[in-house]
Amino acid sequence: MDKKLPESKVIVVTSGKGGVGKTTTVANVSSALARMGYKVVVMDLDIGLKKLDLLLGLENRVVYDIVQVIEGECTLKQALVKDKRFPCLHMLPAAQTRNKEDITPDQVKEVCEQLKADYDFIFIDCPAGIEQGFKNAIAAANKAIVITNPEVSAVRDADRIIGMLESAQFDDIELVVNRLRPEMVHAGNMLSIEDLVEHLCIDLLGVVPEDKSVIISTNKGEPIILNEKAAAATAFNNIALRLSGQEVDFPNFEEESVWHKLKMFSRNFFPNL
Amino acid sequence: MLDFLKKVFSQSETSSRHKANERLRVVLTHDRMNVSAQVMNDLKTEIIEVIARHFDIEGVPEVNLITEGRNSALDINIPIKGR
Repeated sequence: MDKKLPESKVIVVTSGKGGVGKTTTVANVSSALARMGYKVVVMDLDIGLKKLDLLLGLENRVVYDIVQVIEGECTLKQALVKDKRFPCLHMLPAAQTRNKEDITPDQVKEVCEQLKADYDFIFIDCPAGIEQGFKNAIAAANKAIVITNPEVSAVRDADRIIGMLESAQFDDIELVVNRLRPEMVHAGNMLSIEDLVEHLCIDLLGVVPEDKSVIISTNKGEPIILNEKAAAATAFNNIALRLSGQEVDFPNFEEESVWHKLKMFSRNFFPNL
Repeated sequence: MLDFLKKVFSQSETSSRHKANERLRVVLTHDRMNVSAQVMNDLKTEIIEVIARHFDIEGVPEVNLITEGRNSALDINIPIKGR
């Protein structure tokens, strides 16, 4: 199958803080786009700490890795692993026994240039942190997706990352909020989407609710988007649709609860509340 | 009943969400400008000292960082005694 888009999109998925859901987002959004018929490749740049192969369930199919491609031990085509489920999806694995310092931003750019000929979407799974691995990951991208969780530490790191992306001349930076718990927002115990957008001042690309079935899917090495009933599946699918250019409304996760309405109502009488 | 009240007052100033927003506002502003809260306090004291050397200050002087989007500004409000 041929690629659909005349201009490939190179998207880095980053967060600063670890454990917020970068790799989960990459695995699911790329699978969703491949299911829609786009040609998609995912590059794992978390060299030394790879996870993407596990989340996609491709760990047994990895032969070569990106460092071997760069060092000329194998060709790019040899290193690309074909996904089990979606024929349009390929993965370029990270090396597990090497370091982030073993490759340079220019070398990543070079690999991306070659991939552009065949793929509509090139996703780069960025390692946590702001060091060499981050610099390698953002070098080739023309769009950045910043993942955060509704908690102060993740937001602070996301803000730092956004600042660094802006210094690197990125003008297309969008936000994905992962692991939102609407009931906690209602109870006044979690930052809301509105709060996060206000702090970080970038456009919202997606909101993924906390969903236990993500852990179950990860255990099995299957993307969550295969589980149509899961709330997180809908959320990742919506992100993929938005990236493909479709407008999808944001479901109102923070729909006003009865309590909230009551509170607003009571404010009419007790404005100091 | 307690739960009911908790919910009603959820977004009041005592909620942890409110607290998180307040702390983030301060910390993000300081991070972006690369200054600590200590530096801000020193700056505030020094600005007021300089003004006090030339004018009589009346009332409570204020020196605050204000942010709009990703931009910040120093908001200095120092009431001066008229003659």
